[in-house]
Amino acid sequence: MADAISVIQPPTVEIAPRQKKPRGEVIVFGNWCKGCGLCVEFCPTGVLALDEADHPVVVKPENCTGCHWCDTHCPDMAIVVRRIE
Amino acid sequence: MAEHILDAHELDVDEIRIPRENWFESSETLQKLRKNKKFPTIWCAGCGNGIVMGSLIRAIEHLGLSNDEVALVSGIGCAGRMPVYMDFNTLHTNHGRALAFATGLKIARPDMKVIAIMGDGDALAIGGNHFIHAARRNIGITSIVINNAIYGMTGGQYSPTTPIGKQATTAPYGNIEPSFPLCELAIAAGATYVARSTVYHVLELDKYIEAAIRKDGFSLVEAVSYCHTTYGRLNKFGTAPEMMRDLKKNSISKAAYEKLSAKRQAGNSKIVRGVLHVNDEREEFTKLCRKLTEQAQGGGRQ
Repeated sequence: MADAISVIQPPTVEIAPRQKKPRGEVIVFGNWCKGCGLCVEFCPTGVLALDEADHPVVVKPENCTGCHWCDTHCPDMAIVVRRIE
Repeated sequence: MAEHILDAHELDVDEIRIPRENWFESSETLQKLRKNKKFPTIWCAGCGNGIVMGSLIRAIEHLGLSNDEVALVSGIGCAGRMPVYMDFNTLHTNHGRALAFATGLKIARPDMKVIAIMGDGDALAIGGNHFIHAARRNIGITSIVINNAIYGMTGGQYSPTTPIGKQATTAPYGNIEPSFPLCELAIAAGATYVARSTVYHVLELDKYIEAAIRKDGFSLVEAVSYCHTTYGRLNKFGTAPEMMRDLKKNSISKAAYEKLSAKRQAGNSKIVRGVLHVNDEREEFTKLCRKLTEQAQGGGRQ
């Protein structure tokens, strides 16, 4: 009987309410960075910003979408983006 | 930018301090770097050479080749420094002779993936003859030419790819020589895979390099990466991010280019990106060479 009801009921899978969760984690290795500013200039969601010494710092980690723009374009291999599942 | 700095300070972000040894372990791409070399690289801030290096490592990674199966050969120049940082079999040779050494290496070890990394001056001026003859021979070398439109390392002399009218230290009133169309030259000389992209479109570059390594015959990938320090400064193109934006603005994909009318195609001054030429019919040189050897040995002494 319970089975028969479940056929007409909507699926019981819970759809989580849309929430902003970071999809990537940006790690900057300061020792290798030369401060060219490419990552800061082109980050589509403004995760990175330059500090006073012209080095990128992660200021909005919650905005990261894990697009890998910064780590593929970093000329000094000083950025690694880890995808968060 | 001031707001960003404030934001940064409100959040009190500490500089992440990671030991050097641990950084090499943080991604697969970084593990292909040579750990005993001096990092950061010698290139200027924002230089596309590093981007091409990452692209090449990702392409090799994607092909699943082990470090010993790949040989990188380079000449002299900014681009010539690239194999130094990577943990493959490497050969750092004379100026312009990267393809000459690579030819010898490929004939001795046909099983190896030989990749020649050159700059525009290295490939077209000093090594111009090697370039056309390697393409004519169709030997299985993947050549990656980083086109920065100038001799960057020696201080900004004009190179065979400097566009007409652009300044260089040896052309203070503007260059009057027409530039060499690198890809068209390779196609005419008989290369079997020719592709061009820019360092802004680096994922495209990954794909092209991968396809070029896969290809049996002579393949060329041109990576347009204008020099910020000499070419950019002399011609007042601005900072590295601005020049990167210009690469995005001043390039057009091959598909979009083909849709243009003939008149607009003729007047096109943008960089055409894409796979420009593929030829599956020509046989690779080392295979022909082996066939000839077998034929000669089989027919001679028996």
